[in-house]
Amino acid sequence: MTAGRLRMAIPKGALFEGSLRVLRAAGVEVGALADPGRLLIVDTEEIRFIIGKPTDIPAYVAYGAADVAIAGADVLAEAALDVAELADLRFGACRFVVAEREGSATQIADSYRRLGVVRVATKYPRITEAYFADRGVQVEIVKLHGNIELAPLIGLADQVVDITATGTTLRDNHLRIVDEVMSSSARFVANPVAVRIDSERVMDLAGRLARAAGEVEQP
Amino acid sequence: MTAAASAVFAAYGFRFVETPAVEEFRTLEAGAGAALENSAFRMVDLDGSLLALRPEMTVPIARLAASRLADEPTPHRLCYAADVYREQASLRGEARQFTQLGVELLGANGPSSDAEVVGVLVDALAAVGLREFTVGVGTVAVLRALIEAAGAGPEWAAELLASAHARNLVAFDALASAEGVEPAVGEALRRVVRIGGGREAIGECRLVADAVGCAGSLDALESAWELLEAAGVADRVRVDFGILRSFDYYTGLIVEAYAPGLGLPLGGGGRYDEVLARFGAPMPAAGFALSLERVMIALAAQDVAIPVRGLDAVVGGEPREVALTAKRLRAAGWTVRMSATRDAAALDVEAASAGASWRVLAGEGRAVSADGRVLALDPVPAPSSEGGTR
Repeated sequence: MTAGRLRMAIPKGALFEGSLRVLRAAGVEVGALADPGRLLIVDTEEIRFIIGKPTDIPAYVAYGAADVAIAGADVLAEAALDVAELADLRFGACRFVVAEREGSATQIADSYRRLGVVRVATKYPRITEAYFADRGVQVEIVKLHGNIELAPLIGLADQVVDITATGTTLRDNHLRIVDEVMSSSARFVANPVAVRIDSERVMDLAGRLARAAGEVEQP
Repeated sequence: MTAAASAVFAAYGFRFVETPAVEEFRTLEAGAGAALENSAFRMVDLDGSLLALRPEMTVPIARLAASRLADEPTPHRLCYAADVYREQASLRGEARQFTQLGVELLGANGPSSDAEVVGVLVDALAAVGLREFTVGVGTVAVLRALIEAAGAGPEWAAELLASAHARNLVAFDALASAEGVEPAVGEALRRVVRIGGGREAIGECRLVADAVGCAGSLDALESAWELLEAAGVADRVRVDFGILRSFDYYTGLIVEAYAPGLGLPLGGGGRYDEVLARFGAPMPAAGFALSLERVMIALAAQDVAIPVRGLDAVVGGEPREVALTAKRLRAAGWTVRMSATRDAAALDVEAASAGASWRVLAGEGRAVSADGRVLALDPVPAPSSEGGTR
């Protein structure tokens, strides 16, 4: 089954440049993807690139609108959809951390003792819920869409669960990291059926990308 | 579509069975294990027993075979077309009730019964009209043998299987390379799940597995493949050692069916030799289930028209005459709708809106089509094929 171009979803934003780099290093012709302008679909000889919002990429793949994709492990874990994770592409590394306002530990412990619940702000409610459930801690999750580090400062939440690459933003906002939830990096993923019926192309690409990821110098 | 698949099942000597939609949760759990936790609808009856709607048919049929069919000679060849129910995460917008068509071959072991199950699946998919499809076959025996050989403990084994079920090769590779895992076995694990293809894939896997003394786990699959070649269905089948299905009761063969353009498998199954022992009737077993809804989507994607029996005639007139005429037409194989209309023109309109080929005024002894053709009804001829497909 090798009919037509392989459809590959690429996340715009933070992972876009890294995706281009690893694709080139793997010898994949990226064509106009290097400078797509406002285009959302870019065709080359072999591949149809689909440019999407990072959090939407798992859905593209799970429902078969894209055969393969590059997506962050964080986004994949949060989406919890059925996709096959084939290779760690190593770039876009970041950590999921729990953080709180400096000097607020006693206050949080105290209110947890009295109220039996901690309020946590995050963009990733599923990962957050799983993390605290594993520890038997009852949490109230406030789902936000950005500026998570603001939540403890304005009294919206006791703690936050957020991604950080260097920890600078957290430090600048006087937040202290109290635990690491998981680490994340970009992954090469595929639709579970595409892996089976288009396996030569998909697994070949996965192998080339994995090798390229080992060679590309991290910025 | 159900009829076409059922005809194939019957041609292989499978008998239709029905089981209750509601089962004791304990019973289902004993058969299916932990996979049930997130998939079964549960409810409590007045006595406080926990019940569940069946999320699949394999376990209910195993229970049926272990109890009601216990005295009959094996093997049992059973098939079904049944509704199953699965809990889905909110807002996914997926159906929680769907229809499965499948077979279970109980009490027969070995490559010939593996090949039979795969053969029925291929024939059924061809019979429903799918032009393009692939059936992937693999075996869990290799992975189990390698896990055994790795000697890294049950906890590690559970994690490795979980990562394989989640189709997460990144986590799988990491676990295979973990400390405490025999390095040669780890290497074999990483390679095996990536092997796929025709007959040569079995040879390739044998080379890898042989290096760590696990080649014996491939014998059954290789023999089954030879039988599939002999049966002439091997060109539809692809060997794939990366297939792992989410129910964890499989012990040997695993099989999945795919259609291009559909992001989910059409269905699947495999060999589950230990399930019936849990109901006190140890016997080997294998089977598969197809999702009717997904097959319909795949047919639509391949522009295969689904034949629907159209309406042959609308019969109007004096009620007693209508009843008699309609009865005669039905006896001759017509599909007939009875109408209270006595007026020919109004009957024409009704026939047109119902998509019927003919309108019949009872007592006239003839049928008239929309374009004015006339058909004598004495004797009633076989229904014209103009009811057609739509």
